[in-house]
Amino acid sequence: MESTKKYWKGLEEVKNTPEFVENNKNEFAESVPVEQLLEGSGLNAPTPRRDFLKAMGFGLGAVSLAACNVAPVVKSVPYLIKPEEVTSGIPNYYTSSYKGNSILVKTREGRPIKIEANPKCLISGGGTSSQAQAAVLDLYDVSKLKGPVFNGADQSWGDIDNHVKQELAKVQASGKTIALVSSTINSPSAKAAIQEFATAYPATKHVMVDAVSYSGMIKANLSSFGKAAIPQYHFEKAKVVVSFGADFLGSWISPVQFTTQYSNNRGLKSLEEKRMSRHIQFESGLSTTGTNADSRIAIKLSEEGPALLSLYSAITGASVSGSSIADNKVAETAIKLTAQELLNAKGNSLVVSGSNSVAIQTIVNAINLALGNYGTTIDLATASNQFLGDDETFANLLSDINAGKVGAVMFMDINPAYSHSGFKGMSEALKKVSLTISFADRVEETASLCQITAPNHNFLETWGDENAIEGYYTIVQPTINPIYNTRNAAFSLLKWANSTVSDYYSFVKANWEKSVLLSAGKTWDDVLQTGFVSLPSATSISYSLVADVNGAIATILKQSKSLQKDIQLQIYQSVAIGSGEQANNPLLQETPDPVSKVTWDNYVAINPKFAEKLGFAEFEIVSVKSENHSVDLPILLQPGQAHGTVSVALGYGRTKGGKVANDVGKNAYPFVSLVNGSIQYASTVTLSKTGKFEELAQTQTHHSFEGRDIIREATFAQYLEDPAHGSGNHGPKHEKYDLWSKYDQPGHNWVMAIDLNACTGCGACIVACNVENNVPVVGKDEVRKRREMHWMRIDRYYTFNEEGKKITEENEIHEIEGTMENISVVHQPMMCQHCEHAPCETVCPVLATVHSNEGLNHMAYNRCVGTRYCANNCPYKVRRFNWFNYWNDSRFDNYLNNEFTQLVLNPDVTTRSRGVMEKCSLCLQRIQAGKLKAKIEKRTIADGDIKVACQQVCPANAIVFGDANDANSEVSKALKNERTYYVLEEINVQPGVGYMTKITNTGLQKA
Amino acid sequence: MRNFSSEFRRILSSISLIVAFFIVFANTINAQTPAPAAPVTATSPAAGTTPSPAPAAAAPSGDATAGEALWKANCISCHALNKRVLGPALAGINQKYNDEAYLIKWIKNSSAMIASGDKRSVAIYEEYNKAAMTSFPQFSDDDVKNILAYIQVEGDKKPDAGAAGGTGTTVAATDSGVSDYMLIGLIAVVIISFLVILVLNKVIGTLERLLLKKEGEVILPDEDDEDGISKDRFATVKKLAKNKKFVAFVVLAVLITMGSFGWMDLWNTGIQQGYQPVQPIKFSHQLHAGTNEIQCQYCHSGAWKSKNASIPSLNVCMNCHKYVQATEKYNGEISPEISKIYSALDYDPATQQYGENPRPVEWVRIHNLPDLAYFNHSQHVKVANIDCEKCHGKIQEMQEVYQYSPLTMKWCINCHRETEVNAKGNPYYDKVIAAHEQIKKGEKVTAAVLGGLECGKCHY
Repeated sequence: MESTKKYWKGLEEVKNTPEFVENNKNEFAESVPVEQLLEGSGLNAPTPRRDFLKAMGFGLGAVSLAACNVAPVVKSVPYLIKPEEVTSGIPNYYTSSYKGNSILVKTREGRPIKIEANPKCLISGGGTSSQAQAAVLDLYDVSKLKGPVFNGADQSWGDIDNHVKQELAKVQASGKTIALVSSTINSPSAKAAIQEFATAYPATKHVMVDAVSYSGMIKANLSSFGKAAIPQYHFEKAKVVVSFGADFLGSWISPVQFTTQYSNNRGLKSLEEKRMSRHIQFESGLSTTGTNADSRIAIKLSEEGPALLSLYSAITGASVSGSSIADNKVAETAIKLTAQELLNAKGNSLVVSGSNSVAIQTIVNAINLALGNYGTTIDLATASNQFLGDDETFANLLSDINAGKVGAVMFMDINPAYSHSGFKGMSEALKKVSLTISFADRVEETASLCQITAPNHNFLETWGDENAIEGYYTIVQPTINPIYNTRNAAFSLLKWANSTVSDYYSFVKANWEKSVLLSAGKTWDDVLQTGFVSLPSATSISYSLVADVNGAIATILKQSKSLQKDIQLQIYQSVAIGSGEQANNPLLQETPDPVSKVTWDNYVAINPKFAEKLGFAEFEIVSVKSENHSVDLPILLQPGQAHGTVSVALGYGRTKGGKVANDVGKNAYPFVSLVNGSIQYASTVTLSKTGKFEELAQTQTHHSFEGRDIIREATFAQYLEDPAHGSGNHGPKHEKYDLWSKYDQPGHNWVMAIDLNACTGCGACIVACNVENNVPVVGKDEVRKRREMHWMRIDRYYTFNEEGKKITEENEIHEIEGTMENISVVHQPMMCQHCEHAPCETVCPVLATVHSNEGLNHMAYNRCVGTRYCANNCPYKVRRFNWFNYWNDSRFDNYLNNEFTQLVLNPDVTTRSRGVMEKCSLCLQRIQAGKLKAKIEKRTIADGDIKVACQQVCPANAIVFGDANDANSEVSKALKNERTYYVLEEINVQPGVGYMTKITNTGLQKA
Repeated sequence: MRNFSSEFRRILSSISLIVAFFIVFANTINAQTPAPAAPVTATSPAAGTTPSPAPAAAAPSGDATAGEALWKANCISCHALNKRVLGPALAGINQKYNDEAYLIKWIKNSSAMIASGDKRSVAIYEEYNKAAMTSFPQFSDDDVKNILAYIQVEGDKKPDAGAAGGTGTTVAATDSGVSDYMLIGLIAVVIISFLVILVLNKVIGTLERLLLKKEGEVILPDEDDEDGISKDRFATVKKLAKNKKFVAFVVLAVLITMGSFGWMDLWNTGIQQGYQPVQPIKFSHQLHAGTNEIQCQYCHSGAWKSKNASIPSLNVCMNCHKYVQATEKYNGEISPEISKIYSALDYDPATQQYGENPRPVEWVRIHNLPDLAYFNHSQHVKVANIDCEKCHGKIQEMQEVYQYSPLTMKWCINCHRETEVNAKGNPYYDKVIAAHEQIKKGEKVTAAVLGGLECGKCHY
């Protein structure tokens, strides 16, 4: 083949460690103990005959007893009065909103079971994040409070209300402040409720603070343009994207929105139009965004400021004294090239930075302004309301509390005792306040410090609204009656303000009718149907920089200097767990990190070469120590990580988050520090050995691909010259000889096409697949034993980014290993390929897996006897074996084995029992439902009628599914694309899933 | 002569057999008829109380026969003669108001009367929870008079409780089955014929003896003879028992029979064909689907739309049973089975108010497909247009429903093999069928041909 790159899944493969070689010989991690049984006291011992007879006797008896069973008495309880819209067995969809994105909630018989994106949503564009997919499980969380709590005892809402009202009146009279601390609230109704509360208690002070802060950017925009907001980014309009540590495809501000925009310039359609953006990433730790970048330059945290400054000077021509990144030659040349490329794409470029420093964001603003990006790729006029928190006001509030100026504190959707644990002395401070209330749905870290916990509804249980972007209003609709005795937090505020409103629904409705609906000219019913209202932006803004650039430069240089220590610590959000708000969600805990493929833990990511230099081995637990905090975490050797840096993820180490979240990983929040009014996610640390080891539960190296040619790549230049470059679609193909006769597919032929260039590896599809198909969560120990059950995985392949070098032998890898910094990554979603000549089918002794006449590979669970031959014979390693009855086994109580979380199960998919094999069915239940719908409505199936779960959720549109028998279907066209190839097509299993080559836009570097 | 007598005896014994059969049959019929036949007892007290003649002045001038049709078409959904339903009981209405003009006005447009503030009208309106009576502007004055005449005539006939409106009586008539008279008569006939047979038998015996005596024959006691035969028989058995080949054959035969029965039993493990659990409400499909010919989808509406046929929610029952209370069968009381609906909904039929404490009815599921099998009603009922009876049997004849089909996979598969796809007029199938025609040419396109036997069509 044309590709000569060497791909590797993990370091052990590059290094060819003895363990890896040994593991590679065996298909399964653990062998079946056959020898043990046959040796010694096995079959030769004197008792087997008697034991055999005993077993036989027991077996016969048991079978006869089982045969005597009478008909089971199964109760069937119909509705007393059936709601008109409910037909049992048919799902209902309701519009709602998750974090400002309009969603559809699928309910069955009154239970929400799946969240899907509203295809018309202006933000997400039809995709959702893994958090949104998993959010439906949060509703059924058993760790939640069953009702309000007062000083540790259950209390009725009436008593709580009386007490709170009395106390609030006292505080109001005493002249002290009533503080309402919340995360970002952009809900118009909640804001109105808070306003009403503030009118009743004029001493009220509302402080917004976010677990992960963007206040640096907000402040920079205030000082630069006079508007304190996060702007709207338009990655779809950007031809050149330069990011300094902003993980905009993984966790930064609005990753789903950005992924949709970003893939617009990199996916199938844009490539067919010969159009592709260029993405350059400067960062320390290898982020999801970094893995997708065309060029990724590893820089230290301390180099980020100087690098940005040299870019600033290269673009504006302004001289910046005292700044240099001469130490990092790669970065130095890269900055020069980047500046050139940005200038070439003036007005259609975008520079972003993940930093929360006001100074850095000011310089980023200056660069974007110089490039003329405001008004095209950046829109501050219709700003984002997704994050409004201000770190400084929160810090001031804490000092006010300590000074005894605050009489009452309420915490709404924020858990500062965890997320702001860097601010010392919170528990002592709260003791000085006479009334402390938390609206948390469980007694978490902050609520346990409060007198009263007045549990808020889950967002699926309540009315509400959101306004994530100026002019874009989404409605939150309840889809189930409150499961526990909870109450909407905003409504609690209204109650305490002695409002006359009888319920929150009428409050929200009235609020909409007098504001949004009035200006949009729509009715309440319209909104419930569409889910959102979009108003044209009213404000305009003049983009002229008024900030003090020189002051910013000085601050950056100072901050950079302070980080120039031996080991710099980057504190980041992992893609699945994020800020840790949903840490008690087992689905998210088991979603592998897109880069490290680690589940159920955070860790110290460190460059292998740097670790070697420091003398640390993989999985060695080290003590990470900063000035004011220290945690013990295992080492993860992360290729691509900048030398001199380590990265630790936030969101772990909850102590009171619930059964699942508690004691998973360590809390990294205390490492952050408040510098110049905003929280900085960088620090300097020392690492020291603890002498302990802990194996991380990684999924990546669980299967070996034996160096086969399964990833195919080309550069954009090569693609323009020849679209089939790198795909292997050249010249005459091998003549195919089939051992088996061909299957007829007269009706449908369901196939799939996956665009490797669009896939960002975010993992939302994995969670969507889990929720749709009742895939069990197995927990950390089982993942370590390579028993994860995910039907779909995203394989991450590393490759060295060395131009012109052809590497065919594994030994040669060692020669170019270099710093282990300059690597590139390809993500490859992998699921059952539904082979036409499926190797699994031919080895099944009981015909439990057979072919259908619609091109699918069926798996009949009830027929399977668990020989696992099929998994052995599957070249793609996509079959999963049920080692336990996960849904009914006390060992898995923390995850899904309880009556509440089982309400989330999709009733159209069976839960598999112990001892059977399972795998991706291409969402057979959806195919069957789609076909049936067409039959009932007496019409043919239109392309796009049936969407599989992974396809539906993908914000990048990387997955296309459809009928190959329909020549005009999207998938047929995609599979005819020049870039399409089939993984392991040389073994002629004729897979039904095609992949499209990964294209890298090397830009000027190549030209 | 002896031949004659034995022949006679044979005939007699067969007669007695037939008679015995009749007895059993009669008993079963008896067992099947529902508890003490209600109508017979219900009508008798009615005869005792003769109606007092109505005052002549109030007698309406209309035609009662014409009124009956109007009454049935328009009134009975809300009114009964002798019982308060949605509206008041109407027997004696003419006497009560003694003002035909008022009644005509009221019936034609009651809400106008209420709006006008008429005292009597407002009082009624208040009494019936401010539920206004439907206006009948289409009635002419004569129509109303006819109805009032009908009410007068019928109200006089049955001033008491008991059998009421037209619908109730027809139900009772068809439901009563075999009457008691017939049964008693049958039993009497059987007893009498038994006696006749006994007497005849005796007579024959005596006659025969007499005849033999006359001819001088000695009646030998047959005991010895019979004994000899039995001894012989015993000997043969003994002889056979010594025959090893025979014994081996018998053992083998027994083994094979038992084995095959056992094998069949094993195959039928877990099959609950005929399963007929006791339900919390004695709901009769025979009455609803059979006698009343209510369409299946009226209650099981899900079968046409969804995978679940769905057991109807109680508000569907209330569509009819708010009015239909079968009081005529229970001495004016509401049927205990219908009362179960009311108590489940916490509904008070007297005030027609729903209470606060409803508790759902827990039916026992009859058709239990295992969870691993996906079955969709709408695919079969709506798309394939298969009759409900095909799988559920003659529901309209089942007093209590039982599992008619075995619900085994073999049973599913057989049907999928045999049943031709209902593709006519369904464009979904057009392309598929055309493609199949090319491959299979002329073969019947069954569900199996379209992949209806594939595992993944039902198991996922």
